[in-house]
Amino acid sequence: MKLLAKTNSYYIGFSIIAYILLTLVFYLVTEFVIYQEVEARLKVERQDFEHYVSEQGVWEESCYFVDNKIELFSVTDTLQPLEVFKDTLFASRFDDEINPFRQYSFYKVINQQPYKVSIRKSLVESKTLLSFISGTMVILLGIAMFILFLFQRKVSQKIWQPFYKTLTEAKAFDVSRGVGLDMPEESIHEFSELNQVLEKMTHKISDDYQNLKEFTENAAHEIQTPLALINSRVEELIQGKNFTDQQMYWVEQIHQSTLRLSKLHHGLLLLSKIENGQFHDFESVNFSVITKNKFEEYQEVFEHKELETSFTTTGTFICEMHMALADILITNLLNNAVRHNVIGGKLLVEVQEDKLVVANSGANIDFNPEKLFERFKKQNQASTSLGLGLAIVKKICNYYQLEVSYQIKNKLHTISISKQVEQ
Amino acid sequence: MKILVVEDEKGLAESIAEYLSKENFVVEVVYDYHEAREKISVYNYDCTIVDLNLPNGNGFDIVSHIKKQDISTGIIIISARNAVEDKIRGLEIGSDDYLTKPFHLSELNARVKSLIRRRQFGGTNVVNYKEIKIDLNSRRVFINEKEVILSRKEYDLLMYFVSNIEVALTKSAIAEHLYGDNIDTVDSFDMLYSHIKNLRKKLTEKGCEDYIQTIYGIGYKFGTG
Repeated sequence: MKLLAKTNSYYIGFSIIAYILLTLVFYLVTEFVIYQEVEARLKVERQDFEHYVSEQGVWEESCYFVDNKIELFSVTDTLQPLEVFKDTLFASRFDDEINPFRQYSFYKVINQQPYKVSIRKSLVESKTLLSFISGTMVILLGIAMFILFLFQRKVSQKIWQPFYKTLTEAKAFDVSRGVGLDMPEESIHEFSELNQVLEKMTHKISDDYQNLKEFTENAAHEIQTPLALINSRVEELIQGKNFTDQQMYWVEQIHQSTLRLSKLHHGLLLLSKIENGQFHDFESVNFSVITKNKFEEYQEVFEHKELETSFTTTGTFICEMHMALADILITNLLNNAVRHNVIGGKLLVEVQEDKLVVANSGANIDFNPEKLFERFKKQNQASTSLGLGLAIVKKICNYYQLEVSYQIKNKLHTISISKQVEQ
Repeated sequence: MKILVVEDEKGLAESIAEYLSKENFVVEVVYDYHEAREKISVYNYDCTIVDLNLPNGNGFDIVSHIKKQDISTGIIIISARNAVEDKIRGLEIGSDDYLTKPFHLSELNARVKSLIRRRQFGGTNVVNYKEIKIDLNSRRVFINEKEVILSRKEYDLLMYFVSNIEVALTKSAIAEHLYGDNIDTVDSFDMLYSHIKNLRKKLTEKGCEDYIQTIYGIGYKFGTG
């Protein structure tokens, strides 16, 4: 729910409750005031009545021409004093309408005869008055509430505007551009603070990012250059003809180790670059296509190892990722499947709907399969493999929220990569 | 054939210069950005080899400068940066090739030669070595004018050999040239071995002398020496 919608809904909910309560209270108060008035008049009439009776000694109905105005009932017992106000209904004398009255009853002794006297006053006018006042009030209050609602909506839109601006800026922040955000000064203190904090944070993030990036670049340069020198010198050395076979063997070993060191360093740098998120560009990579191409590139290796291979496509697997990483991913998977295969073994590649499966035969692994994806985890520590291939696969998968899993299916080591089901 | 090497690591620059000099190139070496720009503006080179990380400058700027001034020279970038972005950027701004450090000198040599051949417009595009004739355009090989049918890998292998005559080539250098650096070394050495065997057989069958010499423990050498 949007911020403004939320505040509006709160406001409307609160207004409706306040509106109902206010009108109710107002109605009750007005009614109370009107009753007070009517009752005060009834009391005055009682005084008039008592005055008349004490002077005349009798009561004549004819004195009053208004219908049902004062009624007397003879009673036998007046021990209990009575003085009651109550609402009653009487039919009109002229038409069949039934009108509300307020009735005041008390006992009065006239000529030694006790009577119950009821004085009444019509409430028709009072009721009309009440409904008019209440009606007007309800409408006016409603209009006031509506105007207030419009006003507060306008005000919150205005107040929150810098916040939305900040939000848009923050969303557009791209760490790879190498600069933090420059936020404007706001008149509202809190927003100004928010902007300052964001500005500080984004600058820090881009600085850190730049430093890491420069570090990996420099590390590459500083380490690869001496290695390149060693290699080229070794190559010159082997052009010489005065070496014994044994010396040649040593030189060749130096050569191999240097190459290995360089590859290892490239692998580790790649891992940290993925970790640092230095691969921003992405495109739609169709795994069916690139896997097929790679698979064909590897034909010679497959034939060399006399592998029984198959490539099947049963669906499309398209993923937004960096092309170079996609290439490394497939290369490492195939390399792994070839390296740990046996002569005449099997190698199956299958592209399914949102899933890539590479399966190969090979010796059983004697450690926890979970450790398969750790760096430098090798079945045989003496093997020529760098032990980084699957670690890189795992890192790439994590980076793109792909799920990677290992299983043994039909005696085949099976690695599947699939899109994570979005929750 | 004149070549300019722009590389700040003196040892490496020297080593490249020595290697290429043996191939009868005239090699000049500069160690920083300003020197490089000066040399390029004054002299003509058939090929320029540029490192990306230079003191007081950047290799990319040198490449851009060459292209902007319309200076005619082939450009090969050598860099420790393995990033694909750098490779793409280098090729986009006009370099002809990109080589990641550490590289084999024989590989650099082969690339320089291939680049220079490509730049010789209107040339015959034929490489001769003794009785071997290689037509680069059609990728066909003749021994004493009789054609030998070679597979793609065998052709690449032969080209690599004739680009590095009388040079001891390590197995890893050849394997990397043929397969890139992704394939496991054990496998690639085995495959290389069978390619060499086949190539040797195909050439000698057509009456070619066997120029492929095995150097124990190291690799191979192509030539008569």
